[in-house]
Amino acid sequence: MEDFFNNIKESFTNAVLEFETINIKVDSTQWIETHEQLRDEFNLKFFSWLSAVDWDNDVSVGEAPKESVTPCFELITCLSDVENTNLITVSTTIDKSEPQIDSLVGTYEGANWHEREAYEMFGISFANHPNLEKLYLPDGYEGNPMLKSFELISREVKPWPGDVDVEGMPEDSESGEQVDG
Amino acid sequence: MVNALDPQNIKNFSEASVSVEIETEDMTLNIGPQHPSTHGVLRLVAKVDGEKVHDVKPVLGYMHRGYEKLAEVRTYPQITTLVNRIDWVAGFSNEIPFIAGAERLMEIEVPDRAKYIRLILTEMARISSHFVFNGAYALEVGALTPIFYAMEDRERVLDLIESVTGGRFHPNFNRIGGVKPAAGAGPTTKKNIQDLPAGFYRDTKIAMQKVIEAADQFQNLIGGNEVFKKRTKDVGVLTPEIAEAFGVSGPILRASGVKSDLRTQTDYLPYDQFEYEIPVGENGDCYDRWDVRVKEMVESAKIVLQAIDSMPSGPLQAKVPKVIKVPKGRTYVRAENPKGEMGYYIISDGGLGPYRLKVRTASFSNISILPNLLEGALLPDLIAIMGSLDFVLGDVDR
Repeated sequence: MEDFFNNIKESFTNAVLEFETINIKVDSTQWIETHEQLRDEFNLKFFSWLSAVDWDNDVSVGEAPKESVTPCFELITCLSDVENTNLITVSTTIDKSEPQIDSLVGTYEGANWHEREAYEMFGISFANHPNLEKLYLPDGYEGNPMLKSFELISREVKPWPGDVDVEGMPEDSESGEQVDG
Repeated sequence: MVNALDPQNIKNFSEASVSVEIETEDMTLNIGPQHPSTHGVLRLVAKVDGEKVHDVKPVLGYMHRGYEKLAEVRTYPQITTLVNRIDWVAGFSNEIPFIAGAERLMEIEVPDRAKYIRLILTEMARISSHFVFNGAYALEVGALTPIFYAMEDRERVLDLIESVTGGRFHPNFNRIGGVKPAAGAGPTTKKNIQDLPAGFYRDTKIAMQKVIEAADQFQNLIGGNEVFKKRTKDVGVLTPEIAEAFGVSGPILRASGVKSDLRTQTDYLPYDQFEYEIPVGENGDCYDRWDVRVKEMVESAKIVLQAIDSMPSGPLQAKVPKVIKVPKGRTYVRAENPKGEMGYYIISDGGLGPYRLKVRTASFSNISILPNLLEGALLPDLIAIMGSLDFVLGDVDR
């Protein structure tokens, strides 16, 4: 892992090794080239996954980020080498007003379904994708469910009962150190 | 169109050469979403030209439950319950990478005994998943008998999982920092944390011996069957290059000749303590995919037997705060599940739940290969190829 990280660092100076996961941030214009370079030079031929994150301060589900963030989509891919431990995540940010990026299908065929999922869940459009259709959602479905602004309808109707669980049981109150399940 | 009933045309037909190519129209064939060989609700739309299949389109989403979205409104301990249900044939395996990810972000060192219990139960989940595959796959290619043997043998393994966790399919047994005290072990008090149920070691040894025998039996009953060989050898050949580009992992990748096993490559559980082999196929056809899984069952049983013999003593839980807050950070933890690489990419913002949880499942990538693999295949082979991928729709749709 350390050797691999040092190798990566020579080509990508901004690579970070955090919690045993290497991440490199690239500009969205460098998206395809970076992946081609990683595939050919570093032998990362295994396309593990692609996904997106919706960064927003104004959320209707879950907790908002503690520190203010610039609203954007972060696109992440994970590549690895199946014969050893080498693994890397590549991320880029794209603008929310017109979310578009080049499709990776030409580089890794396996990106096809992952990009379709990101397309329907986040509304990110992938240029030159051979078949950019909805993957999971039915035809005619409106909205992008994974956006932080997309509400969970059942939450609106009835407050989440699970909130109570976080409080802890009354008889445990004297010990604050340990839990046993 | 020529009117065949017209007397004049009848004369022409009789004079026509036999070698005239008949123009045919492709038929669109819908398979599923309720077909028994689809392991849930997968729909395939295939174009059929005679007996040849081409242009296959898998239609997903019938089992989509939106776990990634639900995870954003739940706390870390609550998410374990959800992820159990992703690959329900091997529920226990789904918990491991998620819990390991949260532990990595919290920098908790899990006690050895808890790690061993996790490892034993994960391997049991693998065995039970491969039992289901063996029975179901034989059924799909036309052998009715093996599934009865497989289900009976799997029951022994499920009984063991149940005796420890209290659940057969959805154990919900892992806790951040360790495992829950065993279900069959009686009431728990803080000072006297109960361990594995009485007689667990003895029963496990018997059950694992049976697993090794069962695998041997399958090699004869299924693998030795001429019809099975004819149906699966050289059918649905997958090359390692295509497999890797599509992110195909697990037994399917190994059947294509790639020696890749996350159990040896990563350290989410102490697999380096045991001796076992990684079965690898040669041709990457349906037969190899079946063969690799049967051999894996034996190796898993060996790992469990070794783990039982070298079980360390000690606590089941590391010290963790009562309200679990995961520090800010992001990590990706992957594990070798029965179906392939399963991983969780956790983005934590320091709150009670993750800001974003990406669930990488094995079956999703594994079946994305279907349109490639089925191009030009014969219609009867379609079921044989599909079955050999051993997918579960909960694992595909999440």
